[in-house]
Amino acid sequence: MSDFLLEFVEITQTIGDGLFFGTTYALIGIGFSLIFGAMRKLNMTYAAAALAGAYVGLAAFTFINAPAPVVFLISALASGLIGGAVYITCFRFIPINNHLAALMASIGALFFIDEIVVHTTDGSPLTFPALFDDVMFEMGPYGVRGDLLFVLAVNIVSTIGLLYVLYRTRLGLATRAVSQQDVAAQLCGIDVHRTNAITFVLAGLLGGIAGSMTASAVGVLSPLITVPLTVKGLIVSVIGGLGSIPGAIAAGLLVGGLENAFLYFRGVNERDMYVLLLLFVFLIFRPDGLFGSAIDRD
Amino acid sequence: MSATTKLTAAAMFVIAASFFMLAHPVVAAERTVKIAAWGAKSGPLRSFGVNSEAVLKGAIKAINDSGGVKLGDGTMAKMEFTYYDSACNADQAISIARKVESQTAALAGIGPTCSGAAAAMYGIFQKKVDDKSDSGLQFPILTDTAIRPGLAKKSQWTFRNVPNEITMYDALFKWLRSKYPDVKTIYGGTETDQAHSRITFAAVIVQKARKYGFEWVGGGIEGVTGKIIAGMKNVLKVSKSSNWLLADTNFSVQARAFKRSGADMMIISSHPFTTCGMLKEMRRQRIRPKVLVGLTSSSSAETLKGCSAAAEGIYIPTGFAPITKAAAKVAAAAEANGGAADLHSAAAWENAHIIKQVVEATGVMAKPETLKADRRKVRDGLEALVKVNGLMGEIGRVQNEGESIKPYVFVQAQKGAWKVVHDPR
Repeated sequence: MSDFLLEFVEITQTIGDGLFFGTTYALIGIGFSLIFGAMRKLNMTYAAAALAGAYVGLAAFTFINAPAPVVFLISALASGLIGGAVYITCFRFIPINNHLAALMASIGALFFIDEIVVHTTDGSPLTFPALFDDVMFEMGPYGVRGDLLFVLAVNIVSTIGLLYVLYRTRLGLATRAVSQQDVAAQLCGIDVHRTNAITFVLAGLLGGIAGSMTASAVGVLSPLITVPLTVKGLIVSVIGGLGSIPGAIAAGLLVGGLENAFLYFRGVNERDMYVLLLLFVFLIFRPDGLFGSAIDRD
Repeated sequence: MSATTKLTAAAMFVIAASFFMLAHPVVAAERTVKIAAWGAKSGPLRSFGVNSEAVLKGAIKAINDSGGVKLGDGTMAKMEFTYYDSACNADQAISIARKVESQTAALAGIGPTCSGAAAAMYGIFQKKVDDKSDSGLQFPILTDTAIRPGLAKKSQWTFRNVPNEITMYDALFKWLRSKYPDVKTIYGGTETDQAHSRITFAAVIVQKARKYGFEWVGGGIEGVTGKIIAGMKNVLKVSKSSNWLLADTNFSVQARAFKRSGADMMIISSHPFTTCGMLKEMRRQRIRPKVLVGLTSSSSAETLKGCSAAAEGIYIPTGFAPITKAAAKVAAAAEANGGAADLHSAAAWENAHIIKQVVEATGVMAKPETLKADRRKVRDGLEALVKVNGLMGEIGRVQNEGESIKPYVFVQAQKGAWKVVHDPR
């Protein structure tokens, strides 16, 4: 193979790997967007809750030797419960217009959850189970990791499931109604607090899947990744358009692909700089993101 | 009994108890050798502090069980320690150092476990003893765990008891040269946002490999001659696509760079989390170098907890392995105290015993009025040490730099455990 072809394969493989990994960013971004869409508030605890859920799943793996699918399921359920708890402690009783208080409360909860994990595990990296970890599909010069394909499939199914709930169920109708006009929704008989709580639990379930898929893709779980994953989730949700689920998906893939490309061409020290520059460009020239609607409310 | 009578009785009891306490000043004035210790007990590097504290607790119990510390007037005093959480954070480490120096009766400090925090904290200590123009802290520190080369020379009050990576990697590559004569090329990566990993990789490991004839893939790196630090920037430049950051989760690009290199020997200079992430990715991509070398900090239980199968075969030099009677005792004591003894934390045991030795040799009095003089005696005593007994053998001291030369062994990950494969002691 000529040097040019080799380079071409390398670049496309690099971007392809990034896209696969970007699906986990997309799931985290969707969680941020879902909550922002419903309440117009940022839940900074989201990635921490997602990873805490993954730790609960890992406990099942460690203590009762639960198989990987059960670990993923427990991670999702645990993260859903943590999401509900975060709603009650950081959002439920804070006046709807006090955005700063809710933001600060959720930042506090982020570090609190992270520190609980650190104290429980002493910060040690722990092996996280994966499915199809040793499978590598080779197509000519390209290779695709079996576990990343599984992660992609789970992420697609989760997103479709979420979209189904949002657009085909009464709960989804209520969530969208609250997100568009909470007072009018309340006048129509929708329990706003209950709907918001369910939205947090739903987002938490999705976060648990994202957390366990991220841990499964790395093969190791560590509290070190909480803050970077929070930052990635925020970047993805802003670039995608806060509140937009299709936007979060597109932005997750975009960030994943570009991140790898920047790493390949410019090295790890400059990689994050370019990703943040991308965020900056969006904030200046397209503040509503790829698919977001104008950020205001009637 | 009426309420007034009860109150009066209680008041009389309190007064009587106070008189009793005052009449027995020995109780209040019991002399102790106080140590202040601090390290990361929160944050992602919490294991450093947990392990260090567990080992220190065992060491101080052992000292007290054997009678305590002999003071300058012949009195036997117990040793006590207080452990503070500096969270691997420079600001917190500095603020604890200031507090301990000005508000406690601690004779010496042991901390702050992390190299970054130590590098910053050492900067607030008086650089040269008796320099009246320097109002820096005058309090002796004997650090464990923080392993980045050459930190203690920042101040004459700061001392370290950590393995010397320059010596260890020199010996490791010399040994690997003789064990693997057919291995020619090397390739590697590091976590560039961790100064210890980055500096050790670019300034020590690659140079020492070069010194023993292992050449970077593609014909060597400009400026790398085998001398420490030489060509360091170029090392980081040629490895820019194979490096990563401490919290990275995706290693596909780096692992492919490793694979493309086709090197005989691969080097992973990082802490356990990313070492495991990288090793797992290498395994997925079926990268099997003839020799795999890791960073000293990864020769710990954390790496085996995270990726024992993927780490199989990796060589790491370490300053601690439970292969002597004393080292095995420390490992057991650490475990009993909820921690683990490894190349980082085991030094806390030695440090407590070094302080005991210095206190006894310099005639420390451990009285409130002699605190300043006692601290100075401990500092002078630490500086005067030439050799001390360590867990793995004799520890030499580099007196003008406050550093140590510790015995070491080479370990290899084998079936979920660290096995000593070479013992040059």
